[in-house]
Amino acid sequence: MDYDSQLKLQALLDGELPEVEASKVAQWLARDPEAAALSEELRNTRAALAGFETGIQLPESREFFWSKVQRDIQRVETPATKPASMPLYALLRRFLVPASALALVVIAGVVLTRPGPSGLTPAAEIETALADSGAFTYRDYSAGATLVWLSYPADTEIADNDEMGTVE
Amino acid sequence: MAAFEELVGRHRDRIYARAYSMMRNEEEAVDLSQEAWVKGWQRLRQFQGESSFGTWMTRVVINLCLDQLRKQKRQRTESIEAMSEESGGVERQMPVVTVNPTAGLERGELRQRIDRALGQLSYEHRTVLVLHEFEEMEYKEIARTMACSIGTVMSRLFYARRKLAVLLSDLKQQDSN
Repeated sequence: MDYDSQLKLQALLDGELPEVEASKVAQWLARDPEAAALSEELRNTRAALAGFETGIQLPESREFFWSKVQRDIQRVETPATKPASMPLYALLRRFLVPASALALVVIAGVVLTRPGPSGLTPAAEIETALADSGAFTYRDYSAGATLVWLSYPADTEIADNDEMGTVE
Repeated sequence: MAAFEELVGRHRDRIYARAYSMMRNEEEAVDLSQEAWVKGWQRLRQFQGESSFGTWMTRVVINLCLDQLRKQKRQRTESIEAMSEESGGVERQMPVVTVNPTAGLERGELRQRIDRALGQLSYEHRTVLVLHEFEEMEYKEIARTMACSIGTVMSRLFYARRKLAVLLSDLKQQDSN
C-alpha cells in the first residue's frame, strides 16, 4: 500500500474525500485486508481520544481564577498615568518671578553705579541678605522709597505644586 | 463585567482543557487560558455570533498556545526524531496495531495513557491531532490555523495517529508485563 493510498484511507475516515473518490476508496478497502487493518487502527485511535478533554478541569477555584482575570482586564484597560499638566498661570509665575527679580537687580545695579549729584552719596542702594539670597531690598533715598523683593517661590506656591503632582 | 464573569465561569474548564492538551503543562495552560480570557474581553466586540461563544474562545486560546509553542520551538534544538517526523515517511514502517490497545480500560486509566502518549508527540503532531479530534476542524481549517499546506496536515495527522497507536500499544504491553 503506498503512502498516498494510506492518506486517502485516512481522508475517507475523516469524511474529507469527494463523493466519487470516496466510493472508489471504500471499494478498495472492502477487498484489501491490509487496508482494512490500517483503517481499524485509525478508528481505534480516534475512539480512544473521544472524550479525553471532558475530565480536564482548571486546577483553580472559579473565584480565584476570575479574580486574576479581572485584575488583568483592569490593568490592560487602565491607561498609563501621566503626570498632571501644570496650569499656564503656574508656568508663567515660575518663569516670570525670577526674570522680574533679575531685571530688578540689573536696574538697581545701573542706578547704583551711576554717580550721584555729590559724587559721594548714592542716590539709591540695594541690599541682599546673604542668609537668604532670594530677598532683595531696594532703597531710593531721593524718592524716600523702600522696596523689598522676594524672588523664591512662596510656601503657598510649593504647596500648590505638591497638590498638582498627586494623581488620584 | 458580571455577564463576562458568568461566561468565564461557564467555559473556564473547556478553555483550560484545550490549553492543557496543547501545552502539556498545567502552569502554562492556566496562564494561557487566563490570557485568553483577557483577550476575549478586549475582542468581545469582534464576536459576531457566527459560532458559539465557547468555540470562539477556544480559537482564541488555540492561537495563543500556537504562538507560545512556536516561541518554545525556536528556543530549543529539534530532536533527530522530530526532524525525521517532519520529513515524513517514518509512519510507513510502523506495523499496524491490530489489537485495540485501549479496549477494556477504565476512563481514568485511558485518560492517563492518552495523556502520556500525547506528551511524547512533537507539538506539530499533537496540535494537528487536537485541532482535528477535539476542535473538530477540517483539514483546510487546520492548514490555515497552522500556516501549512493541506498535504502537511494530512501527513502530520496520519503520523500522529499511527504513533499514538504504537505508544498506546507499548503502554498496554508494559502494564501486562
